[in-house]
Amino acid sequence: MSTPTTGTRPLRPAWLSWLLLAAGLCALAGCGAPTEKPLAYPKERVPLPEEAMEFFRSEPEFFAWSTPADIPSSLEWKNGDEVPEYGSPQAVKGGTFYYLIPDFPRTLRFVGPDANGAFRNYIFDNNTALLVGAHPDNPEHYFPSLAKEWAIGPDGRTVFFRLDPDATYSDGVPIRADDYLFCFYFMRSPHIVDPWYNDAYKTKISRITKYDDLTISITLPENKPDLLYRTSLVRPVPVHFYRDFAEDYVRHYQWHMEPTTGAYQVQPEGIEKGRGVTMTKVPNWWAANKKHFRYRYNPDRLNFRVVRDRDKVIALFKNGELDMYGATGIIPDVWYNKFSDAEPAVASGGIARSTFYNQVPRPSWGMSINSMMPVLNDRHVRQGLQFATNWDLVCEKVFRGDAQRMQTTSDGYVAVTFPDVKARPFDPVQAAAAFAQAGFTERGPDGIFRNAAGQRLSFTITTGYKRLAEGLTIIQQEARKAGVEYKLEILESTAAWKKIDEKKHEISFGAKNTSVELYPRYWETFHGANAFKPDGSVQTETNNETQTNDPHLNALITEYDRASTMPDIVRLAREIVASLHEDAAFIPAFTEPFFRTAYWRWVEWPEGFQGKTARAADEGMVFWIDTATRDTTRAALRQGQSFPVQNHIFDQFQSP
Amino acid sequence: MFRPSPLTQKRLRRFRSIKRGWWSFIFLVFLYVLSLVAELLVHHRALVVKYEGQLHFPTYGAIIPGTEFGEKYAYETDYRALRDRFRTEAGGNWVLMPPVPYGPLENDLRDGLVHPLAPSWATGHWLGTDPTGRDVLARLFYGFRIVMTFALVFTVAVYVLATAIGCAMGYFGGGFDLIGQRVIEIWQNIPFLYIVIIAVTLVPADVAMSVRVGLLLLILVAFSWAGDSAFLRTATLKEKSRDYVAAVRLLGASPARIIFRHILPNTVATLVTFLPFTVAGAINSLTALDFLNFGLPRPMPSWGEMLEIGLGATHAWWIVTFTFLAITVVLLLVTFVGEAIREAFDPRRFTTYQ
Repeated sequence: MSTPTTGTRPLRPAWLSWLLLAAGLCALAGCGAPTEKPLAYPKERVPLPEEAMEFFRSEPEFFAWSTPADIPSSLEWKNGDEVPEYGSPQAVKGGTFYYLIPDFPRTLRFVGPDANGAFRNYIFDNNTALLVGAHPDNPEHYFPSLAKEWAIGPDGRTVFFRLDPDATYSDGVPIRADDYLFCFYFMRSPHIVDPWYNDAYKTKISRITKYDDLTISITLPENKPDLLYRTSLVRPVPVHFYRDFAEDYVRHYQWHMEPTTGAYQVQPEGIEKGRGVTMTKVPNWWAANKKHFRYRYNPDRLNFRVVRDRDKVIALFKNGELDMYGATGIIPDVWYNKFSDAEPAVASGGIARSTFYNQVPRPSWGMSINSMMPVLNDRHVRQGLQFATNWDLVCEKVFRGDAQRMQTTSDGYVAVTFPDVKARPFDPVQAAAAFAQAGFTERGPDGIFRNAAGQRLSFTITTGYKRLAEGLTIIQQEARKAGVEYKLEILESTAAWKKIDEKKHEISFGAKNTSVELYPRYWETFHGANAFKPDGSVQTETNNETQTNDPHLNALITEYDRASTMPDIVRLAREIVASLHEDAAFIPAFTEPFFRTAYWRWVEWPEGFQGKTARAADEGMVFWIDTATRDTTRAALRQGQSFPVQNHIFDQFQSP
Repeated sequence: MFRPSPLTQKRLRRFRSIKRGWWSFIFLVFLYVLSLVAELLVHHRALVVKYEGQLHFPTYGAIIPGTEFGEKYAYETDYRALRDRFRTEAGGNWVLMPPVPYGPLENDLRDGLVHPLAPSWATGHWLGTDPTGRDVLARLFYGFRIVMTFALVFTVAVYVLATAIGCAMGYFGGGFDLIGQRVIEIWQNIPFLYIVIIAVTLVPADVAMSVRVGLLLLILVAFSWAGDSAFLRTATLKEKSRDYVAAVRLLGASPARIIFRHILPNTVATLVTFLPFTVAGAINSLTALDFLNFGLPRPMPSWGEMLEIGLGATHAWWIVTFTFLAITVVLLLVTFVGEAIREAFDPRRFTTYQ
């Protein structure tokens, strides 16, 4: 059910990574195999290149050089000492963790074409250290990472960071302030061919100042309650590694992993063309003994094998060739049928199962009604469709009650809740009343409502999620009772994505992934600027799949994006959500309050399994491999012995 | 247009004498005719409803809303529930359901779960249900009707095209034949599967089902006639050089008359022997395309889709087993018919087909 996170780019359709994976086969043929030799570059600090300096000088407002004397003396420096340690002291180091990737990565770059695939999670998002880290049990508590101290500036939108002098890249070169400045030159360069980052590093940050080699400050355009989180996303980009950074970046660095601040790296010998990737622990990793890192990243090696077919993955896992199955969750069908107590590998106690309730913003599973299409542009029709779409039944019968009905467009935010808004239940009578207001009063011989002009309430649902086709079949059959005909268009994900991006769909079904953020985003999905261009033509390739363009809502969203205090943000978010509920262009579908994972008994976990905001079992890499248990378990199972059956439920973070 | 020649009549007699092929043929035709009235045998609508002294026949035509029979809802009547209600009320009302009271698109949600139900007499799902609770027997039966109709229309279309073009090339020869042959060579090198994938992906779902199925048929036919036309061309070339053709031509017969009255009756044997295998090929192609999701639009009942669903849900063994059985039986029957025809039309009288 869950999808791999795609890093700091939320709001992208969650299935984008799958689409990229699908394109992978062709790309693999085109890109050639990664047989390059290690890249030659100086393993020492080098000065910022002249092109970068020129770029910085062209924007003096954005890039500033200052002296330590200019750091305000009133700052209250924090170092996260009070934050509880991340990970478990019981963790044992060593061993190899065997897992799968559904496709061979198409690049080892962190940005640029194809870089947003599923493997990025392992080489970047789940691996590298940020300036500060949010504690998974309490995301408002930050612990030191690349910065050992930080302070909020007097203007309320600047954060000062003192870098940890010990921090180095995997090649041993120390991390310094220049790398953060270089990051902006790099991320805003056309050479990386990644417009989203080009724009984000221009508009989401307004200034970066270097005070000395180990002190910087980063400023946001506006005050934000989650200021620290937003500024901590700026990452150091190694100046020395990108000595040859030029137009050929995409090709030149295709198979070279950037020296990382994280625990694992990909060495050329770890790449097995098309078959798998082995990541190895960075020798003398700088954070190996730091408080919040010492009990994480425990295995010495991570072995990723390419297995495309789901049933094959399960077979390999049950055979003990993979250590874990479904790090991001297991769908109910597989959970109940392939991991029941009756399965030999489960019954013998070899495979353990865990259900972990988390508290995170939920991916927005739902149906987006394209409100610029004929008939669907009538709000009453959309409201009727809300009553005609039986997601409650799907939650109950297809997902076996594991999934809950999604209530709004943005569920799961702890600080921003919507107690007054509930998704409309399935009710043919209320649906008929709403349709009647739009002029659809008569049921035709096929039982579908039609209006005086003979138009029928018949709409196409476009989706790229074949695995959820069962649920949609139920939706389709139930809608007939309410006098609505849904036609299913289950496309290959690339084709679905393209059609929806071009706003040619009537109703789209899918989800957009969310980051663990303090409050939801609405501009991307519901602001009119993402529906129509100023000249009135359709704005394609945006996440406003409902083509919502309501002047009142636009004003609200603009105000919301400028709001700087939590009470304001909550008030405006509630107004927005109430207005969206009335507009009825988004039919909320389902959310899952937990994820489930199966793993062999030699994979061990901290006491509570994971942190409150964890969205996947491997997040933060807190587990460890007990190689001794692996050997004894294998030997025992061969001799027909068994162990206690394990089915754990961790509900300490279950929402009431 | 033409009477079968005495030779062809003799061949047909021979076909009838080959028992296995003949009975397979009879059985196939019987099954197909039965499937044409599938609504009377396997359907969620009742055959007859007697309500308040009046008889209703809901099988064909517009839906009858539940309110018609005193139910509270305005959507289509749930006849199975109605039957149970009438039984308990004992008010002289009754419902007569078809032997299998489930439709091919209907999700039977039981036990509070959507899950495949095992075959059972008690539930009426004789062959179980698929993971969304749709009756396997109903989907197989309606799937049979669709795939057979598809295969028959396909075969007729391919033969008409192949005969017309093959005959014309063989009879007229010369430049027409030369250019035609080169065009066919080029045509046959176009990868058919890609064209199907592209076409199916490009057609939007709001296009009517019939148009989408028609398009699929069109593409399959367009890429299938070329092979058969080659046989027809050869056969026509052979017949054309015979003396009797020269004789009718001398008598002043028109090319149309020569082709239809003299050449075709003599070449038709070649065609007929291929016929069952073309039908089997069409069934195979459609099932394979459905399996790959490039065939019939969902949720039409289709064997390929059932195989795909069944292979993903091996714990519900009945889905894949019965679908596989159905495909095997039908293809076996078609092959028996094909063997018999081939033997009956074999010019070497005393050989047997092994």
